[in-house]
Amino acid sequence: MQMKNKMKDMLRIDRRLLANFDFVLLILLLVVCAAALSNLYSASYPPKSLATTPYIKQGVFLLISFAIFLVIVCIDYQELLFWNYPMYVLVLLLLVFAIFMGHEANGSQRWINLGFFKLQPSELAKMIMVITLASYYARKEVVYGYSLKQLIVPIVLTGIPFLLILLQPDLGTAMMIAIIFVSMTIFVRLKLSTYMILGATAVTLVIFAWEKVLKPYQKQRIQTFLHPEDDPMGNGYQILQSKIAVGSGGKFGKGYLEGTQGHLHFLPERHTDFAFAVWGEEWGFVGSLIFLGVYFFLLVWGLYIAMNARDRFGVLLAFGVVILIFWQAVINILMILGFLPVVGIPLPLVSYGGSSLLTTMIGFAILMNIRMRRFQI
Amino acid sequence: MMFKELFSKEADEITERDPASLDNLRRRVSGAIVVVLIFFSLIVIRLWSLQINHGEEYKNRADSNRVRIRQVVAPRGHILDRKGREIVTNRPSFDVVLMREDSRDLDDVLKRLAPILNDEVSSLWSRVREAEGTPRYLPIRLKEDVDWKTLAYLENHNKEFSGIRIEVQPVRVFHYQDLAANIIGYLGAISKTELENADQTVYRGGDLIGKMGLEKLREADLRGEKGNSYSEVDARGFERKLLKSYEPLPGREIRLTIDVDLQQAAENLMEIGEKSGAVVAMEVKTGRILAIASTPHIRLNDFVGGISHDKWQELLTNEKHPLINKTVQATYPPGSTYKMVTALAGLATGVVTPDTPIYCPGSYFFGNRRYGCWKRGGHGTVTLKRAIEESCDVYFYQVGQRVGVDTLAEYAGKLGLGRKTGIELEHEKSGLTPTKKWKISRYQTKWQDGETLSTAIGQGFNLTSPLQICQMTATVANGGKLYRPQLIEQVIEPDGKVVQTFQPELLEEVKGLDNYMAIIREGLIGVVNGPHGTARGAKIDGITVAGKTGTAQVVKVAAYRHLKEADIPYKFRDHAWFTSFAPAEDPEIAVTVLVEHGLHGGSGAAPIATAVMKEYFRDRLSVPDEGIVKEIR
Repeated sequence: MQMKNKMKDMLRIDRRLLANFDFVLLILLLVVCAAALSNLYSASYPPKSLATTPYIKQGVFLLISFAIFLVIVCIDYQELLFWNYPMYVLVLLLLVFAIFMGHEANGSQRWINLGFFKLQPSELAKMIMVITLASYYARKEVVYGYSLKQLIVPIVLTGIPFLLILLQPDLGTAMMIAIIFVSMTIFVRLKLSTYMILGATAVTLVIFAWEKVLKPYQKQRIQTFLHPEDDPMGNGYQILQSKIAVGSGGKFGKGYLEGTQGHLHFLPERHTDFAFAVWGEEWGFVGSLIFLGVYFFLLVWGLYIAMNARDRFGVLLAFGVVILIFWQAVINILMILGFLPVVGIPLPLVSYGGSSLLTTMIGFAILMNIRMRRFQI
Repeated sequence: MMFKELFSKEADEITERDPASLDNLRRRVSGAIVVVLIFFSLIVIRLWSLQINHGEEYKNRADSNRVRIRQVVAPRGHILDRKGREIVTNRPSFDVVLMREDSRDLDDVLKRLAPILNDEVSSLWSRVREAEGTPRYLPIRLKEDVDWKTLAYLENHNKEFSGIRIEVQPVRVFHYQDLAANIIGYLGAISKTELENADQTVYRGGDLIGKMGLEKLREADLRGEKGNSYSEVDARGFERKLLKSYEPLPGREIRLTIDVDLQQAAENLMEIGEKSGAVVAMEVKTGRILAIASTPHIRLNDFVGGISHDKWQELLTNEKHPLINKTVQATYPPGSTYKMVTALAGLATGVVTPDTPIYCPGSYFFGNRRYGCWKRGGHGTVTLKRAIEESCDVYFYQVGQRVGVDTLAEYAGKLGLGRKTGIELEHEKSGLTPTKKWKISRYQTKWQDGETLSTAIGQGFNLTSPLQICQMTATVANGGKLYRPQLIEQVIEPDGKVVQTFQPELLEEVKGLDNYMAIIREGLIGVVNGPHGTARGAKIDGITVAGKTGTAQVVKVAAYRHLKEADIPYKFRDHAWFTSFAPAEDPEIAVTVLVEHGLHGGSGAAPIATAVMKEYFRDRLSVPDEGIVKEIR
């Protein structure tokens, strides 16, 4: 009986909620998704068989994601405070499953084969970390910043998926988990002493990781990034070709479907991590500026939602979602522009990949959710 | 509700919400907006740098990624004789090449290919290794110019040899074997230094370029323009589509002044007698070269596809110097052919008249030395005409002594000696016409008057090339007009348009001496036709031939004088000259022959000149010629 009431409570959508529906967010989201889909069409041009073409699959994922988006919008985000730990445990189980039974590709066990779809639990883990940390910091409120002792729980909560993802191994995503933790923890503020201790520990860990943990190919990537001219045909090739693609776009680009770097396969991973390079090549500086403008506005709008959230949990959650998408976007684009090493982080909404798209859409659904319930007490 | 109970304690804390703390948190979001703005600005700055500042550069790099330019070799221009007969043209060479991009199992393919190409597996591998570092789409030549049988086999079994293709390239073909070999020259792969000095848009490594002779001198006309095909390739090197292509433009045709028949006549006789030397035939009234032969010569086919090391070493070390074009690149004392100069100088300065008698007792004493005449018994009293006819040395000693060496040099210069003729051939030598001034600057010693005597009979310091002697002969024959010897008549575009036509070029005209030259010509007629002439064997029925024999001393010392001629070692034997023109009444052709170590002009050199003459006058001969070969035997 109580359970039934609870369900009813969860799905309560009244007229006021609908009146607060955020069309700005939706339109921005649709614009970015449309641009991303058209870009994906070009990246897989000329089309081969329909079933395997990335843009068709991505379109299907997009529809599924929007359906999930609508479902999530209906559920009050406050429920996440309740469901957070069960979901956290579920994702941990999926990560463990992926390591032992997962689908292997490129020397890494990242995927769980569901038949119609290969789920990448590490993508979901990023969002779960945002939710988990947001709900922890929301519950544990302090006035003068967190002490080291108070950080033990979030460090452990972050550390478990971090290590599991590192074991796959997937350095890029593991790094993202760490970045989320750092961003959100700095956002809620720490005591000065805590900053200093954590900072020193982080430096030690980085040195340790470089010496003991990183695989040679991962070190190679970082070294290649630092000196790409040493190896133009090997590891530097991707960065070089990506820079050539974007640079050759010039002022106005080569035109839609006219990019040569992408279509002639000089550009590696042009559906996934390097999708923005295809955009840059075909639309040039002006087109890239417009795209980045919309994307920027979408992120800032997300932060605006955070600013106006109803409660501490809402602010933290919205901030976390935006900062997750922001860091992925920035790292991805700076990598494409040759500013960062190739780390395998997708551009949210733009890079091909169902798990990433689904995760990102859940994030935007949460934003919409927070926005719609900003006045509810 | 179990879960709710589990987390209830913390959930309770939320209820004690501190409004001030929430506002603080909200305020901090604006800090995040600043961070986002900073990073997006960074991205835009980077985009500006890549796309606007370096856009062109990256555009070029993208194009060089995707556009592959293949060059198609242009067929080289043909070389024809004056009658339009093809001397050098092109034929297709079928080369076996390896396309690395399509190659699989190279080791196995080469192992099976080697016996078919009659080659060692190791040498095929070394060809492959040599090409390392070149773009992968460029074919590697495994074997040039394979025969039809090999070609047919490879075409029929192409599926068994992955990556192996046949490529067709134009190569030189010589329709008269080695005719005028040293004049035509040869091609070779462009060297590093040649490439550095050449137009980079025209040449690339591996291209063929003229290395010698007309192939080198007329490279710009002969090479034509390469064709290019531009195709778009993907990252794996597969050609997706042809963007554009330009057909190669064949090289220009060069029509020589040479007559194949005369050239053959000159070369055949020299070669049959295994003579080392030079033959030049020139039109008296234009300076156009009819034949220009140097023996022994290079073998043109040895150079097609690159000459082997052994053959090249043989050419370098051969003591008869086949690489030297002896018509212009070698000089010899002119011997008695120089007496034309001495006679002209004597007549023109008035120290002798045609009738001035000079007594020849067989030798002439000057200073404390005896200067012998070739005829030991002496010629008795001779005048100019007989002195030329019988080549009396004593007569010319005295004329030379009377005019002096500088005057001799002046008249030698009027007849073209001592300077380059200006023919279009490489490394022409100017020879040497000694003067008093020259000796002081060269040897820092004074000119000895005795040396004038040697100079007057064409020995001593005198040096001339066979072409110079021919030019001199033509000038005497035509009454004083010094023409630049010409080898090329026309340069013609492949579509038939004439690019360049060479007109006879008068370098200098000796005026007012024609009557003296007429007297000299009479003497020269006597050399061939007179009762005591030194080249009576050069007579041709129906045509009046005029000429002059000469002997160029190789060693001055009389160490071998006592020996019979046949016993003198080859390399110490004198060189034989014969220079001639005909018909004497209205000269058309001048022919000069030099046979190295040929001993006597009359016997060693004259028959070859006669054969060339007979070929020239073939249609006008009263008695049909029975063939040039018979003549020399």
